[in-house]
Amino acid sequence: MRSFSLIFKQFSRSVLLIACFAFLGFSAHAQGDAAKGEALFKAKCTSCHKIDQILTGPALGPQLTEETDDKYLIKWIQNNQALIAAKNAKAVAIFNKFEQKSMTVFPELTDADVTNILTYVRADWKTEQDQKAKGGATPNGQPAAATGPSNTVILALFGVIVLAFIIILVLNRVIATLERLLLKNQGALITEEEVEGPVVDRLAGLKKLAKNKKLVFFVLLCGTLALGSWTWVTMWNTNVHQGYQPVQPIKFPHDLHAGAMKIDCQYCHSGAYKSKNASIPSLNVCMNCHKVVKTESPEIHKIYDALGYDPQTQKYDSTKMKPMQWVRIHNLPDFAYFNHSQHVKVAGLKCQTCHGPIQEMKEVYQYSPLTMKWCIQCHKRTNVDFKGNAYYTNLQQVHDLLKDGKPVTAALMGGIECGKCHY
Amino acid sequence: MDSNKKYWKGLEELNKTPEFVEKNKHEFAEPIPIEDVLTGGGLEGRTPRRDFLKALGFGVGAVTLAACQKVPVHKSIPYLIKPEEITPGVANYYVSTYDGQAILVKTREGRPIKIEGHPSDLLAKGGASAQAQASVLDLYDVTRLKNPVKNGGDAGWAEVDDFVVRELLAIKAAGKKIRIISSTISSPSTLGVIADFIKQFPATKHINYDAVSYTGIIQANQNSFGKAVLPHYNFDKADIIVSFAADFLGTWISPEEFTRQYVSNRNSKSLESKKMSRHIQFETGMSLTGSNADVRIPIKPSEEGPALIALYNAISGNSLAGSKGLNNKVADNAIAIAAKELLAAKGKALVVAGSNDVATQVLVNAINSLLGSFGTTIDLDNPSLQYAGNDAEFVEFVNDMKRGDVDAVFFLNANPVYDYYNKDVVDGLKKVRLKVSFASSTDETAALCNIVAPNHHYLESWGDDNAISGYYTVMQPTINPVYDTRQAEQSLMKWSDNPAKDYYTYVRNNWDKNLLAKGGLSGQSGWETLLQTGSIKETVKTAGTYTFGRDLNAVAQTILDHSTALTADNKTEIQLYQSVALRDGKRANNPWLQELPDPVSKVTWDNFAAMSPSDMKKKGLQDGDVVKIEANGYSITLPVLVQPGQAQGTISIAVGYGRTVVGPVGINVGKNAFPFYSLRNGTFQTSASATLTATGENSPLAQTQTHHSIEGRNSIIKEATFTEYKKNPAVGTGKGEGHKEYPNLFWQKYERPTYDWVMAIDLNACTGCGACVVACSAENNVPVVGKDEVRRRREMHWIRIDRYYSFNDNGQGGTTKETDIAKLEDLDHVKVVYQPMLCQHCEHAPCETVCPVLATVHSSEGLNHMAYNRCVGTRYCANNCPYKVRRFNWFNYWNDSRFDNYLNNEHTQLVLNPDVTTRFRGVMEKCSMCIQRIQAGKLKAKIEKRPLKDGEIKMACQQTCSANAIVFGNASDPESEVSKALKSERTYYVLEELGVQPGVGYQTKIRNISELEA
Repeated sequence: MRSFSLIFKQFSRSVLLIACFAFLGFSAHAQGDAAKGEALFKAKCTSCHKIDQILTGPALGPQLTEETDDKYLIKWIQNNQALIAAKNAKAVAIFNKFEQKSMTVFPELTDADVTNILTYVRADWKTEQDQKAKGGATPNGQPAAATGPSNTVILALFGVIVLAFIIILVLNRVIATLERLLLKNQGALITEEEVEGPVVDRLAGLKKLAKNKKLVFFVLLCGTLALGSWTWVTMWNTNVHQGYQPVQPIKFPHDLHAGAMKIDCQYCHSGAYKSKNASIPSLNVCMNCHKVVKTESPEIHKIYDALGYDPQTQKYDSTKMKPMQWVRIHNLPDFAYFNHSQHVKVAGLKCQTCHGPIQEMKEVYQYSPLTMKWCIQCHKRTNVDFKGNAYYTNLQQVHDLLKDGKPVTAALMGGIECGKCHY
Repeated sequence: MDSNKKYWKGLEELNKTPEFVEKNKHEFAEPIPIEDVLTGGGLEGRTPRRDFLKALGFGVGAVTLAACQKVPVHKSIPYLIKPEEITPGVANYYVSTYDGQAILVKTREGRPIKIEGHPSDLLAKGGASAQAQASVLDLYDVTRLKNPVKNGGDAGWAEVDDFVVRELLAIKAAGKKIRIISSTISSPSTLGVIADFIKQFPATKHINYDAVSYTGIIQANQNSFGKAVLPHYNFDKADIIVSFAADFLGTWISPEEFTRQYVSNRNSKSLESKKMSRHIQFETGMSLTGSNADVRIPIKPSEEGPALIALYNAISGNSLAGSKGLNNKVADNAIAIAAKELLAAKGKALVVAGSNDVATQVLVNAINSLLGSFGTTIDLDNPSLQYAGNDAEFVEFVNDMKRGDVDAVFFLNANPVYDYYNKDVVDGLKKVRLKVSFASSTDETAALCNIVAPNHHYLESWGDDNAISGYYTVMQPTINPVYDTRQAEQSLMKWSDNPAKDYYTYVRNNWDKNLLAKGGLSGQSGWETLLQTGSIKETVKTAGTYTFGRDLNAVAQTILDHSTALTADNKTEIQLYQSVALRDGKRANNPWLQELPDPVSKVTWDNFAAMSPSDMKKKGLQDGDVVKIEANGYSITLPVLVQPGQAQGTISIAVGYGRTVVGPVGINVGKNAFPFYSLRNGTFQTSASATLTATGENSPLAQTQTHHSIEGRNSIIKEATFTEYKKNPAVGTGKGEGHKEYPNLFWQKYERPTYDWVMAIDLNACTGCGACVVACSAENNVPVVGKDEVRRRREMHWIRIDRYYSFNDNGQGGTTKETDIAKLEDLDHVKVVYQPMLCQHCEHAPCETVCPVLATVHSSEGLNHMAYNRCVGTRYCANNCPYKVRRFNWFNYWNDSRFDNYLNNEHTQLVLNPDVTTRFRGVMEKCSMCIQRIQAGKLKAKIEKRPLKDGEIKMACQQTCSANAIVFGNASDPESEVSKALKSERTYYVLEELGVQPGVGYQTKIRNISELEA
């Protein structure tokens, strides 16, 4: 089934691609290059405009279909302020319609560039309208399912296998009984007394082994050792929650944001550079992008709900605000002081050093054990980077003398003393 | 030469009372009940097998359950929309005003958690009093009113507004009197709001009423020079200060400012230039100021007036009518010498008196005029606006009430039902139609009012202040109002239909129109600058000289009459004073202040009757014996405390205790002594004559000082006289000839290549006020334990101020043997030395070697670290500490219902410093040398990529000290301030002979007693 959907997907994509190219080939000559237009549109316009929807500025699809005077549009896009200043009636009208929010000026765009953009927007809008007219088929014509076997499917399969196995066993048994019955009826069944012999023998062997004191001692010793080491390990790992992966109120995928999109960690966790707390971003940081991006996702709507934000009117309602309760994953005990800025800003450590491959985690889990042993090991192994930090000038000289140029670890700088973390 | 002076902490130690000796013999002050457990049925008792199995089963089960716990779920709730200026984990500082003094408020995630002095403050220059430090805790007081109250029931603001406005209009129509009673208001904007209110309701009068009043001085200046002002005193310009019962370092007018001024003539810098002021104090009870004086003469309250007359006579050479010698040879002698010295220092002399009697203050004016103090040490042209209370006006108001002439009264930060001397206020209030209190929690007065319109805490308010003429400070909110309260000014504006829409607008307009220009600022940018700098200063007017020209004979007669009245029936004389911690009692619900030991008596959580040792002996009383004190038709019972230095035939009682309507912390702590006040010549008097009768009860006081013995060691306190110091600056420290070197036998020497954190404490600058104790508690989350626990010697303060007594040795070498002390009967003339004592961070710390689990170890930076999570609570370290600075957590103070009143409260805990662990039961703790500040300072330098600057890191105790007695820094840097301070010849180390090499160096106490053999 899955392979079928894949084949279908690939097929439909290639058909669509060919169609697109054909379309472009036809239209390029007449007006402008829609592909170039698309690139420009994404770079310059998307922060304020959508084709099918009003954002900060008007929905460009209908707007540009209505307005056909390209010369006016070129002037407007290149420098709308000039048009408004010159009291162009159309310009003033639209300016007033959008609460006199002025649009960014783009003097760097050539007339051709603007034509390309216009071409792209109109074409895109037209395709969309056409498809709507056809009856709401999604652009790719792809069924919205089948990303892979879900857990239930696997479980069901497993269940079926087990069931089949049981049935086979039962059937075998039935066959064996039937065979025996058949043989009995034929008088060819072997008497059961002969079977009991080897069973008695087996138990006797065990008894014999139990009388071997060396062996018993060895077994007991092994047992004690195993139990002891298990206890030891368990005790050491009490309250060590490596791998802890709680369910969060919003399914925030780090793999998408930090991995695929390559957003810098500090964009959201801005505290890491200047504070002891890396800090969970406040929701207004999410809104920097998600006012525009993926506005239809139910997870994003959780943000909107928490903020009392209405995506239709784009207004916040402070009375509907309710805090977002994340579950803390990395819990240090209260008596241990940890400062992110010391490690990130001063030492220049990568977040991944302690937090693991965050950029690959769909849901974040605790990567490191966060035990004191783990802290100290790192402090003992990590060399302090003196370069370019005037703070170390006085200190470095002393250490250079002390160590004859040998590397200086954090531990040597006092990084494993009690009071550096416990106060 | 080692000091051979004998010091003692309390009379128990001096006299070696059997209980004291017994208690100090043991390892622990209180026996551990281990013997009882092992003998008294503990082991013999049968433990049935079934019980044992049950216990075992439960134990195993519990452990199993505990072990398979899942990860505890900690919720982390970020801001929805983060304010731009807040970074979680980073503190913000805002300027504000406390009591007219510019301060910095440290906030974390929008919560104010600590008050710090503002370095550019005109008064304390970066210091902050214990009260200022403790004021932040009041914000989180759970007993604050959460909404307005009408007739004892909760009400809404609309309802209250409606009611008050209707009543006010009716009263206005009837033409009856309206009164606003407040403790002194020096805020220009508040005064403006009140003026506007008066415009709306012309029958209104604003009366300033201070529980502890300075009307006497104001009135005297009016009588003498026609200027009804409280002068601005300049103690820094005085080479000789003679004070008659004015506790100017502890409680009088502006103690933080005066401390700074006073110490500037006595600190290291001044001593190095061979200059030191001289201070003679005449007083009844031992005050903080008296204990710091070079010469202190105990006099009875009744002798104060005659002594001043004698001083006047000696200076002027005249003899006022009726003047006679004192019946006190020592005082007579001292006055003669004081007069001689004052005359010699003309223009650089200052005489102050704490009395609130107009006649006495007129006489003081006359003396100061003869000494040329006006224009130099006393400034009448840039007066202090901190106190403007008018006693006569308030008495007039009380009489008006009783006559039924007053129909509306508003109480703003005034609580006369508690602190007025008689019950007339209560009777009068019954006849008032509209009684409104702005109290933020119910107090005695608010309980009798029909409306309580709770005011904001000052950290929630906009406002301004003007403590000294020409010095304006601004107050800005650092947190949103916690409860449904409203600023009093806002309420007054609302009720008087003020055109400004809110008080913030009012303050803004006032500054824009009238004040910003005085500091050379204007407009929005000027306002923003002000909110960053906190204050503006007008150019100081030149202080004019004033000459006293009135006849003094009538004045002298009034003074003598008063004196005779006090002594007439030969009873015990009472002197009433403000305690340094609680002052007038308005902050009685503050546990930090209640637990701050009184500087001299070291008593916490109580007031008491201080009595001289010879009186105690005569009356056959012991410490803690409860006596009944009767005077002016009022009586209270209080425990007595033996106080060396107390004038014979007198007792001293602190006011500000015995609150009856207040939160659970302050209720019924001590007894109210305000009713002993009396009214004479229009001002409240703080002395009375009383009869004392023993009740036969005993109520032990919770004193902190007697908790340890100094075991007769003489290397703790070192002092010298100024004359000796001038000859040899190292005198008294034991350095130089005959100094024993203590060889280091066992310990290797440690290298401290980068940092060696040390401290220098100047005993000559420290006045012993205790602000550092509260600052330390606030910074380091030190718990409050309450009276019972203090009695059990379990107070938790990381820094304490040790007070040592010694006898006058007249430069004769003093007493050398303990037996000599018994011969000395002169406990009236003791000397006092204060010594801040905190963990000494010894290089070879004895605590470290005895810890079986290595919970306390040394760092490469010279600090003695304490890892709470490692400590198992053997308390060996505390026993092995020669300085007795380690504190043991007997309880989970932050999570134990027994400490509900103090800090076991979710709301109160918001004041905690998030950078410091709260310690749990069973672990030891002690001064960490504010290691969180050291680490933060280093980190800041690292982030900014620059070397750490000297003086950048300040300890909490150091920062709040107005006297700058504490210097902290890096001893590895020879250029650091602390290295220089420790190089001073006066430096010595406490218990140096033990060879522990402490990291805290002290500088000897120097006394300027060269010219007086009192």
